[in-house]
Amino acid sequence: MDKKLITLNEVSKVFRVGEENFTALHEISLEIECGAFMSFVGPSGSGKTTLLNLIGGLDVPTTGNIFFKDEGLSSMSREQMARYRRENIGFIFQTYNLLPVYSVYENVLFPLLLNGSKEKDVRDRVMDIVDKVGLTDQAKKRPAQLSGGQSQRVAIARALVKDPLLILADEPTANLDTENSLHILELMKQLNRQYQAAVVFSTHDEKVTRYVRREVKLEDGRIVSDKNNIKGVS
Amino acid sequence: MNWDIARKNFYRQGMRAFLNVLVTALSIISLIFMLSLLNGFQAQATRNLVATDVGGGHYRAPGFDILSPTEWEDYTLKTTESLLRLSDKDKAEVLVQQGQLYPNRRLFPVQIRGISMQQSLLILPLDNLKKFDAEIEDAIPAVVGVKMARKAHLAKGDILTLKWRDKSGAVDARDIVIMDVGDMVNPRVDDGVVWLRLDHLRSMTDRAGEVSWVAVRDYLGPIDRFEFQSLEILMADLLALLRQDRINSKILWTILMILVCTSVCNTQILNIFKRQKEIGTLMALGMDSKRIVRIFTLEGTLAAIWALAVAAFLGVPFFIWFQGIGFDVSHLSEASFPIRETIYPDYQPLEIFYSLAIVFVLVVVAAWLPVQKITRLDPTLALRGRAIT
Repeated sequence: MDKKLITLNEVSKVFRVGEENFTALHEISLEIECGAFMSFVGPSGSGKTTLLNLIGGLDVPTTGNIFFKDEGLSSMSREQMARYRRENIGFIFQTYNLLPVYSVYENVLFPLLLNGSKEKDVRDRVMDIVDKVGLTDQAKKRPAQLSGGQSQRVAIARALVKDPLLILADEPTANLDTENSLHILELMKQLNRQYQAAVVFSTHDEKVTRYVRREVKLEDGRIVSDKNNIKGVS
Repeated sequence: MNWDIARKNFYRQGMRAFLNVLVTALSIISLIFMLSLLNGFQAQATRNLVATDVGGGHYRAPGFDILSPTEWEDYTLKTTESLLRLSDKDKAEVLVQQGQLYPNRRLFPVQIRGISMQQSLLILPLDNLKKFDAEIEDAIPAVVGVKMARKAHLAKGDILTLKWRDKSGAVDARDIVIMDVGDMVNPRVDDGVVWLRLDHLRSMTDRAGEVSWVAVRDYLGPIDRFEFQSLEILMADLLALLRQDRINSKILWTILMILVCTSVCNTQILNIFKRQKEIGTLMALGMDSKRIVRIFTLEGTLAAIWALAVAAFLGVPFFIWFQGIGFDVSHLSEASFPIRETIYPDYQPLEIFYSLAIVFVLVVVAAWLPVQKITRLDPTLALRGRAIT
């Protein structure tokens, strides 16, 4: 189970802000194992989201290398990077980012269509996942008709449906109340066990940190602690 | 699949897509309407000048110049047999002399125009002169145009003195009676012009059978002693004005196109701007840039097709209706353009085609360009809605 999925070697990210350079990440080295259930924790501006974006191939490091299994992300073209995201990564965003004109069912179906599947071949699989996140009754509704918690569950279903090796969840509970947050975390814990997809959160929500098995603390773009959480998911 | 996604995206946007299409369609309708109105204005000015003065050209006494009134008496000719043989619908004999009118004890220099009453080539409101004989009785019957009447304070039934010189140079004067104040349409045959029967003017000036010119429907080839002045020569001032107007109308077309482009681009780009996060999400889900661009361009194409359809649906009945009522330009009656009180749009298919094609391409480009730009940037910028600001 501790086979390496993601490896970061001295990864730095520098942003240009006006005339100034702002270093969001300082030479981060890190490994993420298959099936991990972990979080990047830290205050705003600590580099959590930047780190998540780099791992997810949404951004590229200024220096250092990121490997998915043994494949370096830095050497990938934009098309290869898109393919990497399409085949291996599931994203869950703080603001859900559901496609507004699609129904719940269609939002969950969408990643499979992108991977070349035919709807008739995957209809049952989509409905199965929709059912697992408890939204069978809402399958025909559009995102605007859903609550925040329901929307985030659709985002989880969409991230899981293509059976990715890694799910990156950027502050998934930030817009939710406590009850909904706990439901979402419980759901992700179950799905992590069931689907064996590694899940990496970025969060400053203490509720999340109680659930994860590993917690990487960031401050000012540096890792200040990396510890296993024995109280987390077993 | 791209088509499926584009179709769903477009139709399910509902009101937003409809408003987008409606704005573009209304822009198209306004563009065509303005251009056609301008075309109508120009076409009508040309038609009116031909119908009231120029016909298909003039056979003139060589040297006659309408801008040299003191020489009009010197340049008259007897009509030739070949011109006389023409039917009355194909020719109009005109004799022009200078004179002075004395309305309300004032001196008013005028152009006296005599025209044959049988002619039907030129359309002039001279019916009230037809009932008279060739013999002049008490007062000479005359018709003036609305502009002339207004300037000289004349009304139907007024009797006033007209002075002129005959062929020998002898000055003569006699009362004229205003039989009618007619709408001449063309200021050139109205302003400062007193219309008489040709036989009356010939008899007054002792110029039997003479004319200053004969307006003809078609060019007949060279005619002895006369020189032919074509439409281009006779309408040179108007054509020069219209040429200038065409340049102006091109400028207007450009301004209208820019307005339409701005409106369309604004609508399209605002639409894309609002959908940056959606584009970012598609990128995060692993859709490659080319495919995103293709889908959004297809959406733009759908919007353009619908805009053309809606423009046709709303525009065609409007244009047909407007063709019936025309556009009131009575406020321009003082202008020197030969236009009627109402102008009617003149729809030029080629111009419409170009305008539609440009708007169509523009809508597609306006959909393609910003998405192209967004997809070249980091997906994180699009996800944060900051790819285009």
